[in-house]
Amino acid sequence: MRKMLLTTMTVSLVGLWACAPATTDAPPPPVVSAPAIDGPADSAPAQKLTLGFAQVGAESDWRKANTESIKAEAEKRGHELKFSDAQQKQENQIKAIRSFIAQGVDVIAFAPVVETGWDAVLAEAKAANIPVILSDRTINTQDETLYTAFVGSDFREEGRRAGKWLAEKTNGEASILELQGTPGSAPANERKAGFAEAIADFPNMKIVKSQTGEFTRAMGKEVMEAFLKTPEGQGATALYAHNDDMAIGAIQAIEAAGKKPGQDIVIVSVDGVKDAFLAIQEGKLNCTVECNPLLGPPIFDLAEKLVAGEQVPKITYSEEGVFDENNYADVINDRKY
Amino acid sequence: MRRLLGPRMLPLAATGLVVVLLYLAAGAKFHDSNWFTYRVLRDLVVNNGVLGVLAIGMTFVILSGGIDLSIGSTVAFVGILSATLLGQGWSPPAVITLSLVCGVALGALMGWLVASFDLPPFMVTLGGMFLMRGVTLLINDSQIAITHPTYLASGKWPIHPAAGAWLIALVVALYLLHYTRFGRNIYAVGGSEQSALLMGLPVWRTKVAVYACCSLFAAFAGVAQSFVSLSGDSTQGVAQEMDAIAAVVIGGTLLTGGRGYVAGTVLGVLILGLIQSAIIFANINSWWTRIGIGLLLLIFVLLQRAIQQRVDRQ
Amino acid sequence: MASLGRIVSSRHFWPLLVFVLTLLLLRHLSTDFFSISDGRVYGSLVDVFVRGSQVMLLALGMTLVIATGGIDLSVGAVMAISGAMSAWLLTAHEASAGVAIAGGLGVGAVCGLWNGALVAWFGLQPIIATLILMTAGRGIAQLITDGTIITFHHAAFEALGKGYALGVPISVWLVLGMLLVIGAVVDWTNLRLSIESIGSNATASRVAGVPVARVRLLVYVVSGLCAGLAGLINAANIAAADANNAGLYLELDAILAVVIGGAALSGGRFSLTGALVGALVVQGLTTTILTSDVSVHATRVVKAVVVVLVCLLQSPAFRARLQRMIRRRP
Repeated sequence: MRKMLLTTMTVSLVGLWACAPATTDAPPPPVVSAPAIDGPADSAPAQKLTLGFAQVGAESDWRKANTESIKAEAEKRGHELKFSDAQQKQENQIKAIRSFIAQGVDVIAFAPVVETGWDAVLAEAKAANIPVILSDRTINTQDETLYTAFVGSDFREEGRRAGKWLAEKTNGEASILELQGTPGSAPANERKAGFAEAIADFPNMKIVKSQTGEFTRAMGKEVMEAFLKTPEGQGATALYAHNDDMAIGAIQAIEAAGKKPGQDIVIVSVDGVKDAFLAIQEGKLNCTVECNPLLGPPIFDLAEKLVAGEQVPKITYSEEGVFDENNYADVINDRKY
Repeated sequence: MRRLLGPRMLPLAATGLVVVLLYLAAGAKFHDSNWFTYRVLRDLVVNNGVLGVLAIGMTFVILSGGIDLSIGSTVAFVGILSATLLGQGWSPPAVITLSLVCGVALGALMGWLVASFDLPPFMVTLGGMFLMRGVTLLINDSQIAITHPTYLASGKWPIHPAAGAWLIALVVALYLLHYTRFGRNIYAVGGSEQSALLMGLPVWRTKVAVYACCSLFAAFAGVAQSFVSLSGDSTQGVAQEMDAIAAVVIGGTLLTGGRGYVAGTVLGVLILGLIQSAIIFANINSWWTRIGIGLLLLIFVLLQRAIQQRVDRQ
Repeated sequence: MASLGRIVSSRHFWPLLVFVLTLLLLRHLSTDFFSISDGRVYGSLVDVFVRGSQVMLLALGMTLVIATGGIDLSVGAVMAISGAMSAWLLTAHEASAGVAIAGGLGVGAVCGLWNGALVAWFGLQPIIATLILMTAGRGIAQLITDGTIITFHHAAFEALGKGYALGVPISVWLVLGMLLVIGAVVDWTNLRLSIESIGSNATASRVAGVPVARVRLLVYVVSGLCAGLAGLINAANIAAADANNAGLYLELDAILAVVIGGAALSGGRFSLTGALVGALVVQGLTTTILTSDVSVHATRVVKAVVVVLVCLLQSPAFRARLQRMIRRRP
């Protein structure tokens, strides 16, 4: 009797909730909404909006700068920001996005930690009429209408720039070690492809060893250590790291092995964080291709336009430069991250 | 009503009360952020469906006095396997069947090692975890998209795959544990293996079957996950076994075995889900989730110990 | 002949043999296995010891805990907390290396005390008690780092992970030091006897007068201290405190190391040097695979096989069946 009661209770409870169709209607908008502020036409602040941002995590200096940029911009413009840090797990980002939909935010933005697996939740956002902005990374999807806009870097171009710079620096001859980013992530895939494209024209430039350092300093150091003990690693003349943190870890490994980073091994990496500039100053890093983390302004520009009902470009690339020993000094003092 | 509050059911009823209280407390704070909408409840079930299936499978093993650390890696394995084979033209029924068979095979192997040689379940299933994760990463170390039409169409099913999977798992588990001899044997073996042996129960067979069962549920969870995310992800399910164990413990099942209910596990998963939802709604830093779950685990375990000691004394 | 038999059946024989075989393979694959230059030791062999120093420290503490019949799943998280604490002290408070080290060790000991209290005074099962800190610990570490990765520049502190003394990496000295200290404490007092008897039969030990609760508390504190030190080395190594990734899954490697080293998970007799050998085997395998062209993911599969093999070899039931099979062949 107790068993049956228990069984029917639980089954009916869960069944009640489980009879949830895969997608539901749009949620009601949040109760609080500020009226539009009056002001001169050409600098009229936009209506206050609520943006839900699902961030990847806090795995690097770059990500930290990215987060601060978004938070600062929200405060500056007077918009409400709901911010969630997924600790680098996709399921946490999906939960956050669903929560934003339930809370009825005006716009959703997120930096997808991996490229696939977003179709279902983005379909829910679409059904709820909430526009979605992709920040900094792209997704791999069957249906491109699932997101409204992308703002970020052209990772493939970054890879190409790194390859081009290295080709110039080494006169087209180099034995290259590659430290990749997190497997499956857009930046890792694209930076690898772009670099390979750029050096394809130079038959004497070869990647002799390539492995993932997961975008972290610790793994960059550990993998580099192992590389340097192999025959290919011993003869390597260059290192291409998909981000600065791995390069900095690798620099430590190179020094520990008794070699001179920056001289014995030419190092080019991507991101352009302050520690990288310091390393260039010390002569240990040769070049860093900028990847602009300050996406707060462009994201909110897009969000404001979307809320106002305007059209927005599907893809917006940030402006980025390439920094080496020749021009790093111009920028190093402004670099806050 | 008296039966509901009897010594056996009290912990379960109390846990259920906690679920309701948590929900209401969060609502008190977030009612103007749409907390009290159908969507929030639905998300709770959908977000945690896969974990729910995993935790239910884990309950079997823990009831028998063991543990299984390999379930998260099995989910990833099934995902990558499915995505790879579907991409090569296999049909969904074949892929799903193969996945479930792999689950049963792994579980039976681990169960055999535990039952035949008295190896510690912690170590054997740790090996299982390393094996499955390693094989998964060797097949593919990132993600593979699934583009098969049947999977794509699951977005339009009347029930979300995660919710459906959880429901199926719950019904099957309830039947197995409360209406079959297998279930009674599990409780007996978990309660006291010696006594079970003396009573002539098939201890060896029960142990092997329990691990096979748990891995079957894990493989099933993996199938559900592949429908949910339309991709195989080799990094899926990392450390998810710990979440499952937490849910089982919060749900009132004793780690020593022999006592606990699958219904409790369901409540445990709901509590974990509510905590995470509340923290997102509260817009505070997400690391509070971990601290919150740790604290919750502590409170529940201490409470359970107190209640258990009182019950044992009677 | 008899002495050969004694060597082979010694608990340390098989793990040591595997370690030596792994090193031979590594030597074959690596272009720089071992060398001395500038008065320092270099090479893949050194890397194994340096990379493995964190797991070795964890394994030292873990041995004691497992010997009492317990387990400590929180050591990875404690590493993250200790690294975060020291990094925070170095940056936010411009502390000296000494203060940062004391802070990291202190917080490790406090974590151990927490675990020990839950197990010894509240009677919680070790796996659950330490699971709590394992879950909450990284959250606490992130609380200290405010959700970011704290980087610092402090040569004296970084020496813990990168420095050399008498030509040998400091992290290796630290492991040696910890081994000697713990070994001395355990063998010069009757602590070894207490620990082993608790692991074999806690109730009988209590009746016999062994201060079970106090000993249990102590072993968890030691485990916490070891984890704290490992966390300091981890942070010093990369000059950064990464709350999410520091020590990730190292608790599993530590448990694996202890078991490979010959200890039974249920408790009882233990060997500190055995645990170190076990840790070296685990790290040796990892470094060898990293150096070879085999995919780094194969490490996990190898670990799986090693786990099961070691447990089988330790299992009396398996050995009995094996002997029966051998005896059947005339």
